[in-house]
Amino acid sequence: MNALKAELYKASTLPAVWAGFALTVVGCIALEVLLASQGDVTGTDSLPMGTVGAAVIGVVAFSSEYTANSADAGGGRQITTTLTTTPSKTRVLLTKALTIVILIVLSAVVAMPVAVGIARPDVPADELLTSCLGATLYWVLSGLLGFAITVVLRNGVIPLILLILNSSLVSVSLLLTKLTSLAYWLPDLAGRRLFGSGVRTVDSGLDAVPGGLVMAGWAVLLCLLAGFVFARRDA
Amino acid sequence: MITIDQLVKRRGSRTVLDNVGFTARPGRVTAFLGPNGAGKSSTLRILLGLDRADDGHALFDGRPYRTLPDPLRTVGSMLEGSGAHRSRTARNHLAWVARSNGIPRRRVAEVLAEVGLAADARVRVAKYSLGMGQRLGIAAALLGEPQILVLDEPVNGLDPEGIRWIRRLLRDHADAGGTVLLSSHLMTEVADVADDLVVIANGRIVTTGTVTEVTSGYADLEEAFFALTGVTR
Repeated sequence: MNALKAELYKASTLPAVWAGFALTVVGCIALEVLLASQGDVTGTDSLPMGTVGAAVIGVVAFSSEYTANSADAGGGRQITTTLTTTPSKTRVLLTKALTIVILIVLSAVVAMPVAVGIARPDVPADELLTSCLGATLYWVLSGLLGFAITVVLRNGVIPLILLILNSSLVSVSLLLTKLTSLAYWLPDLAGRRLFGSGVRTVDSGLDAVPGGLVMAGWAVLLCLLAGFVFARRDA
Repeated sequence: MITIDQLVKRRGSRTVLDNVGFTARPGRVTAFLGPNGAGKSSTLRILLGLDRADDGHALFDGRPYRTLPDPLRTVGSMLEGSGAHRSRTARNHLAWVARSNGIPRRRVAEVLAEVGLAADARVRVAKYSLGMGQRLGIAAALLGEPQILVLDEPVNGLDPEGIRWIRRLLRDHADAGGTVLLSSHLMTEVADVADDLVVIANGRIVTTGTVTEVTSGYADLEEAFFALTGVTR
């Protein structure tokens, strides 16, 4: 419990985490306003945008552990302090992952009601709720994927580029579907229908429930790999 | 009491630590001396559970670091300077460290005052000098009021006043019955404060003993150090 308290405090005092949080909240709301000015909106159509911020939170929460101070200041990294305060590596990873989940869910609680409020769609409330819960799950899983990759690489640059590009500008996974239908099983496309009917997506691919399970499977697999690598190597 | 016994660490085909063993006793300041790259940090990292040894033990009162509950209350340590993220303030850094081991919040202000950083508590660590980073690292080590202190190169980057301050701090800690283990590649900086010396070179312990024992037969500690570590001037 102390370790979780420490991780939550650590995350809440890291500017990069707030940048990710703001990216999600402001990104979704701004996009919803823009879409609403262009015509019919569903309230959930802006939510894929929040994936970027969620991925940023997942990545920076862990990459910050490996940010080195300048050589003039000793060149130390925070991971040394983290592991001397909490020597169990499993506990460090679990509390870190839990912190990421809490922050992303919090960003969803802030962003989604506002986006839906702007759109005021003519959609039954239960359907809207399902879409929002699905979108939250998609964000959380994206954050955990970013986290797991960062643990393995001990660096946030590659996962950030990968996840931001893939979820905002050009979807590499989507391009890959032109080559092989196996690409529909990649995490970002598999979970695509979690956003519900309010978000237009690829015509083929997996349905919401099996797709969500496949995406969750990816997240679990990569987190296990991260745990294995982290436990075995020297800090 | 710190007991290090038959520690072996290999990196690839290179043996970084070759049967390293020594003790650091309560009430005494033990200085772990050796040139850069001799194996001081590797030994301390294994002692603090950060790296894994290929063989041997490193124990605090018979227990490995990883099994200590709320370890900061037993062992205070500093490795690699401040160990703080550059975009955090000293206060926020110490606040999360305190939370992680259930240490009361008031200790943060107390240790900041003790190491002389009270006025810079709200400055981001990125703006700290090497000496200020060292002081913050020492503040974190003192946070849990531990009986044992393990400090890697604590005098590095401190100005003369800072060196005098750290010597006083370590001396007082040992005089109060605490165990102090510090590493240094600067023998003259620690000669005045150390009771026991452990000298390492090329991953092997070359000598251990009191300052008088280690320096007997040599003009001074510096002579002894160069002769023992095989470093030619």
